[in-house]
Amino acid sequence: MNMDRRSVLGLGGVVAASAMIAPGIHLIAAPERTEASGQSRWAMLVDVNKCDSDCTACTTACRQENNVPTFDDPQRDIHWIRKVELKDKKGKRPSVSLPVLCNHCEHPPCVDVCPTEASFIRKDGIVLVDKHRCIGCRYCMIACPYKARSLVYHATELSENGNADVPIRGKGVVEKCTFCVHLVDQGKKPACVDACQKDGNGAMIFGDLNDGQSEISKRVHEIRTQTMRADLGLNPAVHYQGL
Amino acid sequence: MISEFSTIKGNSSKYLALLAGFGVLLALGAFSFLYVEINGHGATNMTNQVVWGLPHVFAISLLVMASGALNLASMATVFGAKQYKIFRRFSAFLAIALLAGGLAVLVLDLGRPDRMLLTMIHMNFKSMFTWNVFLYSGFVVLCFLYLWSMFQHERYVKLAGSAAFAGRVILTTGTGSIFGVIHAREVFHSAITGPTFVAVSITSGTAMCIMLLVATFHYTGRKLDKSLIHGLRNVLIFFTLLVFYLLVVEKFTKFYSPAFYDVESWILTGPYAPLYWIGVLGMGIALPLAILFNPGMGNSIKGIMWACGAAIIGEVSFVAHVLLAGQSYPFNMFPGWEMSSAFLDGQVAAYSPGILELMLGVGGIGIAGLIYLIGIRFFRLLPQKAEAPEGWKPWSP
Amino acid sequence: MAWIRFLGALLAVFMTIAPLVSNADAHGDAKHDRGTIGEKCIKDTDWMRRNHMNMLMEKRHVTVREGVRVPAESLLNCKTCHTSREKFCDKCHSYVGVQPDCFECHNYPK
Ligand code: HEC
Ligand code: HEC
Ligand code: HEC
Repeated sequence: MNMDRRSVLGLGGVVAASAMIAPGIHLIAAPERTEASGQSRWAMLVDVNKCDSDCTACTTACRQENNVPTFDDPQRDIHWIRKVELKDKKGKRPSVSLPVLCNHCEHPPCVDVCPTEASFIRKDGIVLVDKHRCIGCRYCMIACPYKARSLVYHATELSENGNADVPIRGKGVVEKCTFCVHLVDQGKKPACVDACQKDGNGAMIFGDLNDGQSEISKRVHEIRTQTMRADLGLNPAVHYQGL
Repeated sequence: MISEFSTIKGNSSKYLALLAGFGVLLALGAFSFLYVEINGHGATNMTNQVVWGLPHVFAISLLVMASGALNLASMATVFGAKQYKIFRRFSAFLAIALLAGGLAVLVLDLGRPDRMLLTMIHMNFKSMFTWNVFLYSGFVVLCFLYLWSMFQHERYVKLAGSAAFAGRVILTTGTGSIFGVIHAREVFHSAITGPTFVAVSITSGTAMCIMLLVATFHYTGRKLDKSLIHGLRNVLIFFTLLVFYLLVVEKFTKFYSPAFYDVESWILTGPYAPLYWIGVLGMGIALPLAILFNPGMGNSIKGIMWACGAAIIGEVSFVAHVLLAGQSYPFNMFPGWEMSSAFLDGQVAAYSPGILELMLGVGGIGIAGLIYLIGIRFFRLLPQKAEAPEGWKPWSP
Repeated sequence: MAWIRFLGALLAVFMTIAPLVSNADAHGDAKHDRGTIGEKCIKDTDWMRRNHMNMLMEKRHVTVREGVRVPAESLLNCKTCHTSREKFCDKCHSYVGVQPDCFECHNYPK
């Protein structure tokens, strides 16, 4: 549990700032404490032109970081992030390849339909499943227009080189991409973005849309980006550029 | 008045055989539940594409039928159709029995049934499921109140019966809205899905009532006036036509918009088209109407029974179509592009129900059947003889 | 259900105190037997014994839902001192007859 000092300080600042704005939150001001802040809105931008169809750096990294298993059963495999190939129906535009993951919508339909509030949206805009509360009704999977969710059909064990800091699967609950919330809370980037920048082509960036200085907020406000199924009015946090 | 009603003897070998039969169904359901609970949903054939499979088809069919079964009582209490007054108890009790069966399947198919109580502790009032939890339990309570007033306090009957009627309409609209409100799913996202569920519930509920009444009266040697069944047949005709009307309006509206061409032509020609044409339209609408409008068969008890059977198959097909076709149709996340991926994007989902799912589903039927059989044995639900009032003559083909 | 918890806690207290009373010297050994290293628990040992379940339940709520992470008090941190689940958590739990389902998902060294 080594936390890098700088990020702790940075986050501490955010916590302090939010504490000033929201004095209702009780603070047992331990220095290492972090808390989701209503000031941020985490988001991702994918530059489709840079994404290569042979590259699976993001999906591999996600499986490694989050212990996402494969069951050798395409019908039931769990996918937090997947590479999707797009072919123009009229055959005019060149084919593209891009990652699809949970869009962390501002108005997530999965949260609306969840009977126990197990699916919820954190103050900083990350949509999560509280696996302690999920009863496995799967209504959220019906409601999600991005097919971002998977039901865990089989229990799993921690693989040899698995990540012991992240829980493994408990059968019967629904799960999905968490934006690597455990890393984001430590001031790091999600594993897929990290891998894309290190081993991939640097197509993905991650950051706080509400922070005017962040690269993502500049780019999202300057370039024409798209979100998936904008017609549904969900306002996703995953933006695509160059489609 | 009360002396008219009596319990059945319940000592014939046929009765015991029936009890045993439904008991076996229940045992199958219990086995399947335990097996899946221990081994995980991997033991079923459900997938990450089709997450609600056969158990939900059974469960929702039973729930929908339950609210329709109350129609018989509502007609007497709310709409003043005096001739059906003698069936009110039967109808309200049948509603409870079917609801219990359906609800049991729904709950036992949860991924984590052990956490069921969480739905009572943490409630999200934006979720149709939360509403349904209230509506179902409220409906059972209303049916009990209704039964209780019928047994003990006739003067509250109108009140309790009307409340149960309203509860029933809201309940089925709620069940339909579980699907209707989901914008992501083009196949069933529609304001008319709820009303269609209500109409379908009445056809199947009435059909169930007719079949059970005829069978129970026959096997207990009681007298059932044929014209009462003819009256119910007319109810069945009316609501079958209503279902047809709603289906046509839905298809018409959707086909008017080019955005729905793809999905609608998929429904009418794709892999689930046989279910739609043969199940929903053929068994659910064409066959019952053909039989019931036929002067010969439509007036014979046998013919009506066949029509009822077809109507119930039609209802199950309708629910199965909404559920399975609705989930199988691929999302279109990038209009104008064809998708493909390791997560089977852009493909129609393949799903063939597994035996464990079937067992869980019939377990629900077992519960409903047992409750009904035990109910008529211990409560005075059925009249000694059912006769139409003097001079009441339903229309006949 | 509160009384069941109370009984359970009482039982646990009894179970841990009994050996201490009967043989005070064995304390260190008992600690070693149960795979515990380190001097002090994250809170008072008595308090932990009685309240760790509530603490963990509360923690999982605020951590997952509000993003409140205090690494020192995290469930992930227990294993740095209580190195064995079987010898520590499970042993006591099977004695008092509870079976938390946590380890279906949470990794904890055997
Ligand atoms: C810094 C090391 C350390 C950490 C971290 C730690 N503990 Fe402890 N814990 C101890 C020690 C030392 C004891 C005293 C053991 C003894 O006296 O036998 C103890 C005692 C306990 C007891 C009482 C056991 C008894 O027999 O009375 C419980 C329960 C407990 N810890 C739970 C936890 C949980 C849960 C966590 C994780 C949130 C945790 N501990 C983290 C060191 C630690
Ligand atoms: C001294 C005995 C003891 C030890 C050691 C111990 N526990 Fe417990 N634990 C209990 C008792 C007693 C309960 C109370 C059961 C109840 O409330 O019904 C309990 C309950 C729990 C619960 C709540 C279960 C529920 O369903 O409410 C959790 C979670 C838990 N313990 C985690 C741990 C972990 C993790 C460890 C090891 C780091 C641990 N416990 C070690 C005695 C112990
Ligand atoms: C179905 C799987 C599952 C089960 C069962 C489960 N958890 Fe969790 N738990 C998770 C996941 C996933 C997280 C999120 C980890 C994260 O965000 O870092 C989590 C997070 C937590 C956290 C916060 C993590 C931290 O750093 O402290 C605590 C505490 C916790 N769980 C306690 C429990 C307890 C106690 C139980 C048993 C009563 C339990 N969990 C059962 C999956 C599970």
